[in-house]
Amino acid sequence: VARYGELWLKGKNRGMFERRLAQNVKHAVEGISDVRIERDQAQLVLHPESRARDVARRVQDVFGLSSVFLARGTSADTEAIVAAAEMVLAEALEARPRDRVLTFRVQTRRSDKSFPLLSTELDRLVADRVMPPYEERLRVELSKPELTLGISVRPGRAYVFAERMPGAGGLPVGTVGRTVALLSGGIDSPVAAWMAMKRGCEVVFVTFHSYPYIGASYEQKVRALVCSLGRFQARSLLYSVPFAGIQTQIRDHCPPSYRTVLYRRMMHRIADRIADAEGAQGVVTGDSLGQVASQTLENLACIEDAARLPLLRPLLCFDKGETIELARKIGTFELSIQPEPDCCTVFQPRKPIIRGRIEVCRNAEGELDVAGLVSAAVEGAERIEA
Amino acid sequence: MSTSVPAYLDNAATTPLLDAVRAAMAPYLEEEFGNPSARYPLGIEATAALELARQRVARATGARSEDVVFTSGGTEANNLAVLGLARARRRHGRHLLIGPTEHPSVREAARALEGEGFELEDLRLDRDGELDLEHLAASLRADTVLVAQMLVSNEFGTVYPVARVGRLVRANAPRAVLHVDAIQGLGKLPLSIGELGAHSLSVSAHKVHGPKGSGALVLSEGVRPRPLLYGGAQEHGLRSGTENVAGIVGLGRAAELAAGDLSATTSHLEALRELLATEVRRTGVARVLAPGTMRSPAITSLLLSGPPAEVWMHHLEARGVMTSVGSACQAKKRDVSPSLRALGLGEEQSRHVLRVSFSKKTSEEEVRTAVRAFVEVERELGAPR
Repeated sequence: VARYGELWLKGKNRGMFERRLAQNVKHAVEGISDVRIERDQAQLVLHPESRARDVARRVQDVFGLSSVFLARGTSADTEAIVAAAEMVLAEALEARPRDRVLTFRVQTRRSDKSFPLLSTELDRLVADRVMPPYEERLRVELSKPELTLGISVRPGRAYVFAERMPGAGGLPVGTVGRTVALLSGGIDSPVAAWMAMKRGCEVVFVTFHSYPYIGASYEQKVRALVCSLGRFQARSLLYSVPFAGIQTQIRDHCPPSYRTVLYRRMMHRIADRIADAEGAQGVVTGDSLGQVASQTLENLACIEDAARLPLLRPLLCFDKGETIELARKIGTFELSIQPEPDCCTVFQPRKPIIRGRIEVCRNAEGELDVAGLVSAAVEGAERIEA
Repeated sequence: MSTSVPAYLDNAATTPLLDAVRAAMAPYLEEEFGNPSARYPLGIEATAALELARQRVARATGARSEDVVFTSGGTEANNLAVLGLARARRRHGRHLLIGPTEHPSVREAARALEGEGFELEDLRLDRDGELDLEHLAASLRADTVLVAQMLVSNEFGTVYPVARVGRLVRANAPRAVLHVDAIQGLGKLPLSIGELGAHSLSVSAHKVHGPKGSGALVLSEGVRPRPLLYGGAQEHGLRSGTENVAGIVGLGRAAELAAGDLSATTSHLEALRELLATEVRRTGVARVLAPGTMRSPAITSLLLSGPPAEVWMHHLEARGVMTSVGSACQAKKRDVSPSLRALGLGEEQSRHVLRVSFSKKTSEEEVRTAVRAFVEVERELGAPR
């Protein structure tokens, strides 16, 4: 049983949100088990053929769910519910310490209002029937009990559960729209992409490589990151854009201190073109204010000057430590810290500009065939289904 | 990237499988699938194949076949030697001496022993990049139980005077055993555990045109490590686990061929090294590092100018020329290797060293292709910076 809170269930969108959520769940569990999915008020009921625990764990990664319960299904009559409750409680108590008393309650939700008992009546009835064998181990407490036996009564079917797993929160991926996310192989950009997905964006990944100035293994690293992030959305696409040609042009024709800023301006032009091709409406970056030279307010302004689509910078005001904590949580940290140089290290100037000026950028680009370089990069990009 | 490689010059990382080796292995991946522990004909055939491979490895290393222990490769062989021999001898002492340029599978295993109360000391190179034997003699103690000194450096091709190390160990640390990582030595130099005065010697199949995932620890008479793996007591209890029959057969055949072709291989490798040195000198693209000292003919290190060697490497690979920066196992580390430091190379210069390594399958044409690629890359990288 997967619940999704009702905060975002507004008016006419509700059906769309729910359908998308169900699709995402179905996609997530593919390959684990065949699963039949039923929609019920503010919850999905999943019927896995096998490996229910694995299915539940996998569903924990699907955005838009507040919690996931591992439940036992039964017919919707009082005796059957009591029998199921006895089994669920016995299993739950096996895994808990015997040396102290646990606080406990039964909590029923009825979506079938024709069920003969009220929720509170069923709570009491089940508690009276299942508790006696464990008199020394359980004490009823209605607020914040350590063990809750949940019962969900639907037309014809009921579910009993004791194990609540937190959901990923956020909005179902795809319900807000589609964005492009720039991925560098560092710690920040995968976290930024994850945050965009969490708020309902489907993300198309774009990375830039400077082969043969850096190794082809860079692309492997980025692919591994995309695969890792792939568990948060149904389908992941990665564009791998050749960037060394642009970098040598910038190296040969532009002021060295502006190289990084100019690289990033070109990246955004290319990302905008890819976004157009993929129907994406924004560009996600891992920028964090003041973290490195290219992330001062002035330089962010210089970079933004070349971008057309809205820039989403979910980490803008995060400290590095906060980002690292998230990266560990979502599982990208270990991949990100694999030592692998990225394109920004190529021809890195000894003294990068700190407070760049937009006119200087524009003038410097006067020496370049910007449109030609961007087109060549877009055409040379490899589109990878990850 | 293309799979057919015009010039594969990274043979110290791994080598292509020989047809003869593949043919020897094939039956054991197909109809001869028996478990050597089984007592019916299918199992007995597998046992016979293991014993033939054991004899072949023994002959290639000058050992008795009953002293050959098959492993999952060079890393496990080195781990079994370092961890297993030190643990087996701990009642004699806790002092370990480790060569200056040992592979991580020796070095890190020894470091893990520090947590078990062992004391670890490194051997040194002298100013000429040679093993400092006086320092070794002075470092050996009555409670030294293990000395590990590789035969041929995987990074640099240096051939260490292991036989002299063996004599010094016997004279100054009678309770110590000498482990020799001979993984880059097999098929490149005559190999004899007895002549080296070693107590154990590790070899790996895939460095001599055999399969990956197969290697052996060769022991001298009576020397037995504490096992790392416990279970069904295969390999006389020294390495439990159902044997990798096909891999072991491949190792046996590859070792036999490596040792059998030794003199032809050596003269072929020397000719290639000479050709590379001449061409590099003629075109002026690089400088051969330390050509004078004792080196394996299979490995040449080049000092390049301009951008770091890693950039050269990727530009060369784009032209189908495979080389490496440092050794593949350490390619991601940033430390200056002790052998480069001993040659007076600082951190900056050591980033300009490229390793080129040959095998008996390398052709003169591959060397010429590589040199042409060097010239092209130099031209390309020569743009204003």
